[in-house]
Formats: sequence, C-alpha cells, structure tokens
Amino acid sequence: MLNDIFIQPFADMFAAPDFLLQVLWEGLVSGILYALIALGFVLIFRSSRIFNFAQGIMVVFAALTLVGLHAMGIPAWISVALTLAVMFVLAVSIERVVLRPLVGQPDIILFMATIGITLFLIGFGEIIFGGENKVMITEELGIPTDSVVLEPWGGLLILEQKDITAVVVAGLLVVALLLFLGKTRMGRAIRALGDDHQAALSVGISLQTIWVLVWFIAGIIALVTGIAWGARAGVSFALEVIAYKALPVLMLGGLESITGAIIGGLMIGMLEKLFEIYWGQPLMGGNTETWFAFVLALIVLLFRPQGLFGERIIERV
Amino acid sequence: MKTLTKLAGAAALGALMAGGAMAEGLYTPNLAYRTGPFAATGIPLMNGQKDYMELMNARDGGIGGIAIDFDECETGYSTEKGVECYEKTKGKAIVTQPWSTGITLQVLPKTNVDEIPILAPGYGFSPMADGKVFQWAFNIPLSYWDGASILIKYLGSQGDLSGKKIAFLHLDHPFGKEPLPYLEAAAEAQGFELVPIPVGLKEMQNQSAQWLQIRRERPDYVIMWGWGAMNAGAITEAVKTKFPMENMLGVWWAGHDADLKIVGDAGKGYKSVSWSFPNPEAPIMADLQKYVVEPGKTLSNAEEMSGVFYSRGLVISMVLGEGIRVAQEHAGKAEISPADLRWGLENLDITEERLEELGMTGMVPPFSTSCNNHTGHSGGWILEWDGEKFVKASDLIMPDSDMIAPLEEKAAMDYAEANQPWPVNEECGG
Repeated sequence: MLNDIFIQPFADMFAAPDFLLQVLWEGLVSGILYALIALGFVLIFRSSRIFNFAQGIMVVFAALTLVGLHAMGIPAWISVALTLAVMFVLAVSIERVVLRPLVGQPDIILFMATIGITLFLIGFGEIIFGGENKVMITEELGIPTDSVVLEPWGGLLILEQKDITAVVVAGLLVVALLLFLGKTRMGRAIRALGDDHQAALSVGISLQTIWVLVWFIAGIIALVTGIAWGARAGVSFALEVIAYKALPVLMLGGLESITGAIIGGLMIGMLEKLFEIYWGQPLMGGNTETWFAFVLALIVLLFRPQGLFGERIIERV
Repeated sequence: MKTLTKLAGAAALGALMAGGAMAEGLYTPNLAYRTGPFAATGIPLMNGQKDYMELMNARDGGIGGIAIDFDECETGYSTEKGVECYEKTKGKAIVTQPWSTGITLQVLPKTNVDEIPILAPGYGFSPMADGKVFQWAFNIPLSYWDGASILIKYLGSQGDLSGKKIAFLHLDHPFGKEPLPYLEAAAEAQGFELVPIPVGLKEMQNQSAQWLQIRRERPDYVIMWGWGAMNAGAITEAVKTKFPMENMLGVWWAGHDADLKIVGDAGKGYKSVSWSFPNPEAPIMADLQKYVVEPGKTLSNAEEMSGVFYSRGLVISMVLGEGIRVAQEHAGKAEISPADLRWGLENLDITEERLEELGMTGMVPPFSTSCNNHTGHSGGWILEWDGEKFVKASDLIMPDSDMIAPLEEKAAMDYAEANQPWPVNEECGG
C-alpha cells in the first residue's frame, strides 16, 4: 500500500515522461480556464462584495448568444462584437434593475439577487435559444482545430491547437486585465472600491459606473470562457456546471485576489489532474476530480482562512 | 379601485386555473427535463412524446374516444424535483414517466403504495423486468442489461472477446452504474477485462483525465454509458486522442444526432445500440406533419424530427398509447384507472402488423409483454454514425436472456428482501 502511494506513482512518471507531460498540459488547459471563471467572480466581489452566483450562466448565455447570432447569418466576428454589446446591455440592466435598488442591503440579499439573475437567464436563454446542444463556431472564428503531435523521449504528446489558442487568449486576457486594473483610472477606481467603499465614494468614484464596468468585464470573461469550453463539447446549458469548478479556486486563492484566482486555477487544474491519474485512478477507481479540489482548498483554509492570497481581515470589536 | 382591480384580476386568474384543472381526459404526466445540463438530450425526446399524443388527440379524438391530457412537470433531471413532480401529479395520474434512473429508484417503492404504473422505456432499474416483484414498473422494450448484452454480443461477433480489454466509460450516477452487474458477469463468463471509468457530472465537458486513463489502459473497445453533455464530451476527446472510432460504442442514450454533429466526419464509425430508428417514410410522419406540425402544435423542427431521439419519443408515447388502448378494451370503458393501465402494459403485443397499422413500421422491433415480463426484451440494432446521420449497421440483435434472466430474478428478490414488506404478485404465472 505504501508502495502504491509513495513510490509507484513517481516510478510511473519517470517511466513515461511523455505521458506525464500530457497530464501536465491537460491540467494547464483546465487550470487556465478555471482561473478565467474565478476571475469573473473575483472582479465582481472586489468591487461590490457580491458573490456572483450568475457567473456560470453568464458563460452559457454569452456562448449561446454568439452561436445564435451566427446562426442568423451574421459573420462570426460581427457576432462576437454584437455578443459583447449584449453583455454590456446585460451589465447595465443588472445594475439598474437588480443592484441599484439593493444598495446598502446585507451581502446575503445581493447574493440571493444573483441567484435570481441566474434563474432569469436560464429561462430567458431557453426561450430565445432553446436548450439543444449547439456547435461552437470554432473554425468560423479562425481558431485552428488540428493537433500538434510531438514525440518527446520517443513518446507521444498531443496538443490540440484550439487548446493552445485557449491558453494563449486566456493568458493575454489576464495580462490585459492586470494592466487595466493597475495602469488605468478606471482600473484603479475598481481597486479603490475593493479596498474601501466609503473612502472611494467620498473621492467621487461612481459606484454605478464601476458596477456596470465590472459586470461587463465579467461578461467578456464569460464569452471567452464560453468559446473555449464550447469548442470542446458544444454549447448547451451543461456549460453552467463548470462554474462550480471555480469555487475551490476561490477558496484556495482568496475571493479578493486576482493573483490568487490565476495561481489557484493553475494549481488546482494541474494538481487535480496529477492526483487523478497517478493516485485516484489506480487506488480509488477514479473520478477524484469531483472532490480533490475542495479537499485541497479545505486543507489550505485550515492554515490560511483567507486563502493563499486573500486579505487577512481583522475586525476590532 | 386598485383593490377592486386586483380582485377582478385574481378572479379571472382563478377562473382560468379552474378551467385548466377541469380539462377532461386521461391524465398522463411526463416528468420532463427541458432545462438543465441534460436538456439537449431531453428536448427531442419530450417533443416526440408530446407530438404523438397531440396526434392522437387531433386525428383520432384521443384514444378509445377519450382525450389524452398529456402534461409535463419539469425536473431538470434532478432527482429531488422529480420526486416533487411525482407527488404533485400522482393524485389524478394513470401513469408516471419519471425519465431518470435516479427518480425511478426513488419513486419505485412509492408506486407500490400509490398503485400507479411507472413507465420507464429503456431506462430505470433493469430487474424491473420481473413483473412478479415489480408489479407497477415497466422498462419496455429493453433494459440496460439487455442493452449491455447486445453490445457485448455485437463485439463478440467481431472476434473472440477472451483476453480483450473493454473500458466502460460511464456517468457517475445511478444510470451510468446500472449495467455494471451484467458487464461484470459477462467479463467473468467470456474472459475479457472490464475497466470501469466513471465521469463526474462536473467533468462531463472536460473528460481529459478519463481519456488519459484510456490512453494508458489501451483498451480494445470503449463502451460508453453517456447522457446529455457527456456524450459530446467523450466523442470529442476520443477524436482528440485518436482512439479508433469504430471501436467505440454507446448505449441508446449516447446515440444522439446533435452530439455527433459536433464532431461531424471525425465521428465516423462510432456506434450505438438502439431500440428505435427514424423512418421518414413512415405514414405516421405524414400524419404528424398534417395534424401537428402544420397547425403549429409542435415544439420541434424538421431537423430534429428526422433524428433518432425524436423518433424514440414517438415510440415511447406509442407504448403508452397502446397500453391505454389494450386496457380500455379489457376494461370495457374509455376512462381507465391506473390498475387497468397496468393490465394493459402487461398485455402488449406489438407485432409487425400492429406497427403497420400504427404507421410506424421499422421504428421499433416487435415485442410483447406479460405479467411476468415487464420489459419485452425486443432486441436492438447497432446504429453507426456516417458523418451526417445514424444508419443501421446490423440486423436485429437479441439480448442474452439466458444469462440475464437469473441475474434479474436474483436482483429483484434481493431488492424485495431489502425493502420489506414488499408485495409480490404470486398470481403472476408468466
């Protein structure tokens, strides 16, 4: 038993390094997509203290809008632009109709409101687009669909070009976000709101504008995530489920930390894949990905309740 | 004034609701899932079921002169919501159609008390075939053990399975685990190695870990017990990892045209067992066009109507419709009770002649049921994806009943013993 836990997995890694590379690559692809979803949560939480339960359905809604617009005969990239416009209108509507009337209410009320947004988007999306599985317009968007086959150490490593594209685009999006938050006026305003609401409002930062902005950015992230995941297995309401994969990322990285979301996503993506392949499948019959990330996050929380990168909150009584 | 307006509005709404409740006919609720992660597979099935009953009402004035009150209660494929739907509809229902193995297992003991037949065509608990123990449950015309047996028989016809390795990629859910007892017994009997590979609900769209395991295990065949988004996820990964598509086979719920269209040509050679097949030339399709599509009563579309799942929905409602007809003839009345319907479902005889009369030739194999046989064990075809649609790749293959029957009997008795007191129909001879 000890051999199976402590020796055999590492022996397997050394025996087939090409396979280990494949495992790490798959983990990296999953991880960067988890990080993207987690970023959507973090941005909204930082600026408004709202845990956005609707992030998952926003992924579905964005992807369905894109595919639906293209099905109407609109060229792919114009469909992308129109989808972004729809996500902007959605952000404005959420701010006006849902959030503004609830300013000053307890956090749990705002959280419940995002559950309401989720249910509304599910019903609205079903009425407009139907619940059938749809094909993502991968090729129309110019995303290559072939594979790159490498033979490291005489083995086999298959890299899907659409996965490479997803990693590159997600990476660029993260860099752009970091630049936006660090170098622009609006970005600094978002960070200011995250640091201290009262102080930010007192220096003239508009809460309404920032809320629209962060929900719109979450919409952009949702669209990119929807394209990347939809290219793998089609676009359907099942995509909503993947948002739950971001929860342990948030627990691990901290709800307020952009760095935490990125590093947490990558860590969970790669570690859960390594654990599943080298320990979960041989010793536990597989499907450990369902719980591994949560257990990892819980262990971290035992030692750092605020997550790896979250802010330590000290409240004086 | 405002109060008056509100009262008037409430009265109008009340009148409307009362009108709805007074709708006459045989109440046959369907615990549908048009929403949620499995909606993509649910919608065409539900549309087919609904359209068949619409056709009966529009063309024939119902069945036996009484309208069919076909209603849907949305479950989203959630077991909890399914049980709620069952409780909500059981009062006046003559049948319950739970539409998930998880929901079926939950309502199975309740239907014994409520005395309502469960109609679970092609799903549910395989030992429900034993009508002596499961008096109120029907999984017509094939059980999951039958399906697994047909797949193993087909693979056996391609070459001796002894020493071969078969990966069993399945949803980690009661549905996905259901064929395991049969497959384990078959592996022992035929000398092949079975490698079960579960797929979690949250991993359906990203099965890279499961397919890395398949790459490591190098199985000769992959049998997939998939549902909803899991099917497209698995087939995409199979294409990506270059697994030979002709060596991948699925259960009937993993043979959905829309899932395969996502991979298109790359999915050529993929196979699925099926107990139904679309026949665009069948007279029922012309009738559906005339009585349901043209008057705007369908929620479906031409592309969906040509697919395997819509056609299966039609077959499922046909089974219920025939059960009602047989029950009416036996009871001598149109307005039958759940107990009458149970008799009807136990005495189905769907022959080639009857299928021709129904305008459904070739859409389902002939089968018959009895008090003791609540499944019918119709046999199934192997369908193959040709890049655009599913085509038949085999003649009708019958399940290995000699092997399945003792397994069913034992599992049924084990279930009854574990759920005492469990009424058994001792009058059931065969």
